[in-house]
Amino acid sequence: MRIAVIAGSIAGGLRIAQEIENLPGVAVFVVVCNAGKRAPVLRWSREFLLAFRSFKWRMLATTGYRYAQLRKLIILGGRLDDETSIEHLRELQCDVGLHAANVIYREPVISAFRLGILNAHIGILPKYRGRCVAEWSVLQRDPTGETVFFIDSGIDTGDRIVLREVIPSKGWKSARALKNMLFACDARLYRKALETLMSSGFSLQSNDTSKGQRYYVMSRLFTKAVNKILATTPVTSG
Amino acid sequence: MDLETVLSRPVPLDRSEGILRGALLTRRAGLRRSWRHLITRECLESLGALAKEVESFLSGEDAFCDWRFAVTFTWMNFDASFTESLRAIALARKVEHRPSNTGPDRLSLAKFNTLSRNERIEVLCDRYRCPLNIGLPSESDVAEELLRQLMVPDRAKLEAGKEFDVDFVLLKLNLAGVRAMMTRDLRFLDALNYFYELPQRSLVRLRASPHFLAFWLCIYGQLLCTPEW
Repeated sequence: MRIAVIAGSIAGGLRIAQEIENLPGVAVFVVVCNAGKRAPVLRWSREFLLAFRSFKWRMLATTGYRYAQLRKLIILGGRLDDETSIEHLRELQCDVGLHAANVIYREPVISAFRLGILNAHIGILPKYRGRCVAEWSVLQRDPTGETVFFIDSGIDTGDRIVLREVIPSKGWKSARALKNMLFACDARLYRKALETLMSSGFSLQSNDTSKGQRYYVMSRLFTKAVNKILATTPVTSG
Repeated sequence: MDLETVLSRPVPLDRSEGILRGALLTRRAGLRRSWRHLITRECLESLGALAKEVESFLSGEDAFCDWRFAVTFTWMNFDASFTESLRAIALARKVEHRPSNTGPDRLSLAKFNTLSRNERIEVLCDRYRCPLNIGLPSESDVAEELLRQLMVPDRAKLEAGKEFDVDFVLLKLNLAGVRAMMTRDLRFLDALNYFYELPQRSLVRLRASPHFLAFWLCIYGQLLCTPEW
């Protein structure tokens, strides 16, 4: 299976690539796009800063060099949905894309992958679509977790769910800490989703959007309430 | 344990409910103290006879109307105009609605979004002449679209300090508030929270539509002291 990590930074792409590169039968590419349409100086300064902040710059440099030598590190100059970028993606002939960039995918980009693009969404679908879903789950006393699904051009409306995993919020004392923890689960969950996809007898679950709602950015008032709920949740509670 | 079991498992309610209620009542107390920053003396004077009622409602004791029972109706008719109905709801007064077994045809959102700004306002004020109808299950698509517009394009404009349509934004906030009253959907209440928290430089521009601004704050005040979310 040929996989492309679509990343907003080299460091972010390599982090996921390293998690899945040892899966049997998998070839991994890292496609870095200029999500914020930054000028070259800003873009590369950001790359160095992200690598430096990860405290793994030596390992990142080694891995990055290895991927570059094997022509598995592709740095796109233009926007992801430019015709040139889409042509690059098609030439890779990948089966699956892994979302790791802050971009909205248009149909031509999605269809450049044989099966589609997977997204590790930090909420349980179909109930929680959209933004701040971890906070909304806590506020509405629902379990927190993640869903890996094939995206479409809507907001978390892609119909094919590969896996859902409940990840408890207990022990995380603020919404920000909880979200950071959930975001950091993406590489592990992508690995698990790919293993699931390649296993025999696997069937996709349906993302029935009529059973859920779209959520939006949360107010400061409710975010504070969520922080308070998290801070006062006993670590031993269910 | 499978996911469906986990999702359907009851979790302790008391603590979260208490925290949420405390947060809302604290905001209500804040609104009671600071609503005059939004509705200035000049703004209040422009409300005419309504000024005293708004003043005593926002500064006075907590009051709210429980409209949840109305969700079961197919449609509601009301003899008064949209503004008069909204005024009655905002001030937690009795609304002489007449339940009906038939409602209007479904509103096509595709068509609605192609209308001019004036036509859209007209369509909404006409359809929701009895504003309680926005809370009915049959109006979910319209309500979701209005919420999306508030929380995506309108919010972005207000946060960036760009020009925005004061009347239309306030109309949507009022309808979102009425929907929250009837359905207890926290997302609609939070749209009001979010706009109330926007920078003062954006909020002061809402004074251009004093009646809708006053109704919005009165509805928000009711929602903040409403129990059982």
